Amino acid sequence: MADGNAVKIDYFGSLTAGLWRENPTFRLLIGMCPPLAVTTAVKPALTMGLSVIFVLVCSNIVISLMRNLLKPHLRIIMFCLSIATFVTICDLYLRAFAPRMSEILGAYVPLIIVNCIIIFRAEACASKSNVWVSALDGIGSGTGFTIALCILAGIREILASGKIWDYQVMPHGFVPWAAMQMPVGAFVLLGLLLGLAAIITAKKD
Amino acid sequence: MFGKIKYFIQQSWLLLLASFIFGLMIAVADVAWSAKIEQNKTAKMDNLMKGLISDANAFEVAVKDANLPSNKGQVAKTNIYKALDAKGNNIGFAFIATGSGFADKIELIIAVDANCGKFLGFQVLSSNETPGFGDKMKTDSFRNQFKGAPAGQFSLIKIGKPETIDNEIVAISGATVTSTAVVDIFNKSIVSVKEILSQKGLIK
Repeated sequence: MADGNAVKIDYFGSLTAGLWRENPTFRLLIGMCPPLAVTTAVKPALTMGLSVIFVLVCSNIVISLMRNLLKPHLRIIMFCLSIATFVTICDLYLRAFAPRMSEILGAYVPLIIVNCIIIFRAEACASKSNVWVSALDGIGSGTGFTIALCILAGIREILASGKIWDYQVMPHGFVPWAAMQMPVGAFVLLGLLLGLAAIITAKKD
Repeated sequence: MFGKIKYFIQQSWLLLLASFIFGLMIAVADVAWSAKIEQNKTAKMDNLMKGLISDANAFEVAVKDANLPSNKGQVAKTNIYKALDAKGNNIGFAFIATGSGFADKIELIIAVDANCGKFLGFQVLSSNETPGFGDKMKTDSFRNQFKGAPAGQFSLIKIGKPETIDNEIVAISGATVTSTAVVDIFNKSIVSVKEILSQKGLIK
């Protein structure tokens, strides 16, 4: 992890780490609630991903700015406080300007507060690095998470309804897999994708 | 004593300051957007009710915080809305009714005509029924059975013609629990709604 005082800081590395090497969903397996819960269709998954990027970047920046003032026994409460603030703002925004999405996502938007990706990036990166690194790290991890959500949601939506983003992609006569709309579909598909990710990394190494 | 206070401030000034600033940020966001959020809620209710009572021009609250039966024998406070046509005549009522479904509670918007004599249909406000089975309560073929049916007590049958409009509802095959739940919600809520509306003198 890049240090704020180090002479050479790997900005590019901070940005790209979250995309694959430290992808929260496929490589670190943290924050596994949204990938299972909100991936029945691409639209809610993308909304969820963008909300997480917003919260992650904002909380990373705020925590990075106050990193030298943080007392060890008060740091978790400060993390939670800043995360909860941005999640509440994000929730209000969605309820005002994307009521349909807000309704579909329901309790999962407020639940971003306890999403461990955000608190993990705060602890592992933002509380030790400068603002730029923290912001880039937030964008990288958030984007990695969003891409993972969209892959899962895309496959589930196609198999469950034959559509993606409301466009029919499957030929007529395609029988929708009802299981893909249910939690079981999410678990099975996530398991298969994790296996695939493990095979790819094993080959790379 | 003084030392203790000093120690307390030293330890917690950042937390206190941050709480204040963050609280302020949320307050500003809330003030800026709460009107829009409220407007979205009303628009959504109006839209759903308009789908049931198509001649309605406007809706207003007829009974505020009426006690209607909810899931698991509880009572929920909900508004009963009055539908007005272009001339301002009352052409029906709509209310939210809740009950226990197969997986989670089911929330329906039910519409009745101005005398509480006939149902005008229902819409599903929220539910979590099994896709492919209980979920079929949202289909027109099931919902249309309630449209125009006399506002009394329904009974559930397994085999029959869904097209006949009467007090017998043909269950969704493979989803008996959901079908029973919907019929139950109708049966329980209409009794209370009739009672409340006649108490208020809104129906004869």
